[in-house]
Amino acid sequence: MTTDNTALIKVRDLKKHYNYGAIKALDGVNIDINKGDVMVVIGPSGSGKSTFLRSLNLLEEPTDGSIVFDGRDIVNEKINLDEFRERMGMVFQHFNLFPHKTILENLTLAPQIVKGKSKEEAEKKALELLDRVGLKDRASAYPVQLSGGQKQRVAIVRALCMDPEVMLFDEPTSALDPEMVGEVLEVMKELAKEGMTMVCVTHEMGFAREVGNRVVFMADGNIIEEGTPEKIFDHPESPRLKDFLGKVLEA
Amino acid sequence: MTISWGNIEKILTYGNMFQQGLIVTVLLALCTVFFGFFLAFGLALMLLSDVRPFRYLEKVKTDDINKKKRNDFIAKFNPVKLIANCYVQFVRCTPMLVQIFLVYYIVFGFITLPKFTFFGFIQFERFFPAAVALALNSGGYMSAVIRGGIEGVDNGQTEAARSLGMSKAQTMYHIILPQAIKNILPAVANEFVTIIKESSICYTIGVQDIMFNVKSVQSATFIIAEPLLMATFLYFCLCFPTSKIIEYVERRMRQSDNR
Ligand SMILES: Nc1ncnc2c1ncn2[C@@H]1O[C@H](COP(=O)(O)OP(=O)(O)OP(=O)(O)O)[C@@H](O)[C@H]1O
Ligand SMILES: [Mg+2]
Repeated sequence: MTTDNTALIKVRDLKKHYNYGAIKALDGVNIDINKGDVMVVIGPSGSGKSTFLRSLNLLEEPTDGSIVFDGRDIVNEKINLDEFRERMGMVFQHFNLFPHKTILENLTLAPQIVKGKSKEEAEKKALELLDRVGLKDRASAYPVQLSGGQKQRVAIVRALCMDPEVMLFDEPTSALDPEMVGEVLEVMKELAKEGMTMVCVTHEMGFAREVGNRVVFMADGNIIEEGTPEKIFDHPESPRLKDFLGKVLEA
Repeated sequence: MTISWGNIEKILTYGNMFQQGLIVTVLLALCTVFFGFFLAFGLALMLLSDVRPFRYLEKVKTDDINKKKRNDFIAKFNPVKLIANCYVQFVRCTPMLVQIFLVYYIVFGFITLPKFTFFGFIQFERFFPAAVALALNSGGYMSAVIRGGIEGVDNGQTEAARSLGMSKAQTMYHIILPQAIKNILPAVANEFVTIIKESSICYTIGVQDIMFNVKSVQSATFIIAEPLLMATFLYFCLCFPTSKIIEYVERRMRQSDNR
């Protein structure tokens, strides 16, 4: 794993409020995400994990604070949002594949219309990546014809086809039947091994411990504790985290 | 008043008038839905637009919560949406008959249309204003349907597309519209049926549709009931099969959805 210490994403005092501060989904989050980090975000429901992740590529517009990505403040500077978004891949809980397009079209649309790649070029790359997740033979199928685990693997590949510098995962295995969780985690593990920078919200503690190099615990819109998997899982400090781990690990 | 076979036979000798009326009615409905659809589509995009000249006020930082609320309120102001909304409300809240008269007597009172007939019997200078008025009306109603169809596409689709770097326009064109069309087309087809019926008031500006010919036959033969029955029969024969076909196609489309 390559971990040099230039922070790729610097999050400073990030806030997301609803109803004029009545709901504080994020309340001053500070964190640096380094190149090559596999950051796993855990925390109870409603703690702001999704909001944090979605703020990173501005699917959610922060109320306040800054996110510096590759030297530019994407919240406050005037930037081309689309250009910046193509550098961050995102994988959703419910896959969000395009149902009216085949798998191959799902994978090649954005590279063609956003990056201006030729059809052949885009398809070559798509098939190569599909092959690696073992789905090359399903290239001409439609999303409805795939199982949940297959859909999620395709969704990951779709993001990868854009050559992103960072991959964001929001509970990628939560909507899957238990027997399909493994195949998706396997793909993510591969990705981590290759040095992809990843931020991953998940309830899979085994994955967090095994693959993550940093674990972030969130509660009430804040990062309560952060550290290596050993530190978070074996030597938790804050009572909130201990309480949380007690609940998840016994389940 | 009695209904007799003799009378029915008599009005059947005016069969070609009913036939011409039928053609005018169908043609009028087709033109209306065609042009109404484009109008509706434009209106729907306007209703969904995000043109906000004062959006920068959202970003203004202030600790005064009332000021913040006021700023956010002004930031929401969208003139494009407002115009479309006003138009839709005007169409909905005024009678169709009034709208037709407005178009025929006022708008085309100023604009002189060339006088000619096409298909041998359709007077352009009456047909055209009727089609315009109906399209303006129908477009207003259909815009809500199209907007609903677009909004009905799961928000996750937009998020996925945007997260891949697609622009708003690309997302709309490549992702949203192809999916929305499934929600929209049946409604547009139903609008066709509605317009077949509602266009019957166009006889008031002299468009020679089914109803106009009913009046003509009535005054030529002094038979009142049977021509009306004939019109009832014709409208029903137009609308019933059409709506059944739409229902069938809609059902088929839904089945193919959850393959
Ligand atoms: N559009 C919204 N309007 C109001 N409140 C919202 C909105 N979106 C999120 N919230 C609130 O923000 C808080 C954080 O939500 P978020 O979805 O980030 O939590 P989460 O940690 O991802 O939870 P989960 O594990 O259930 O996915 C919640 O209290 C939620 O109710
Ligand atoms: Mg969530």
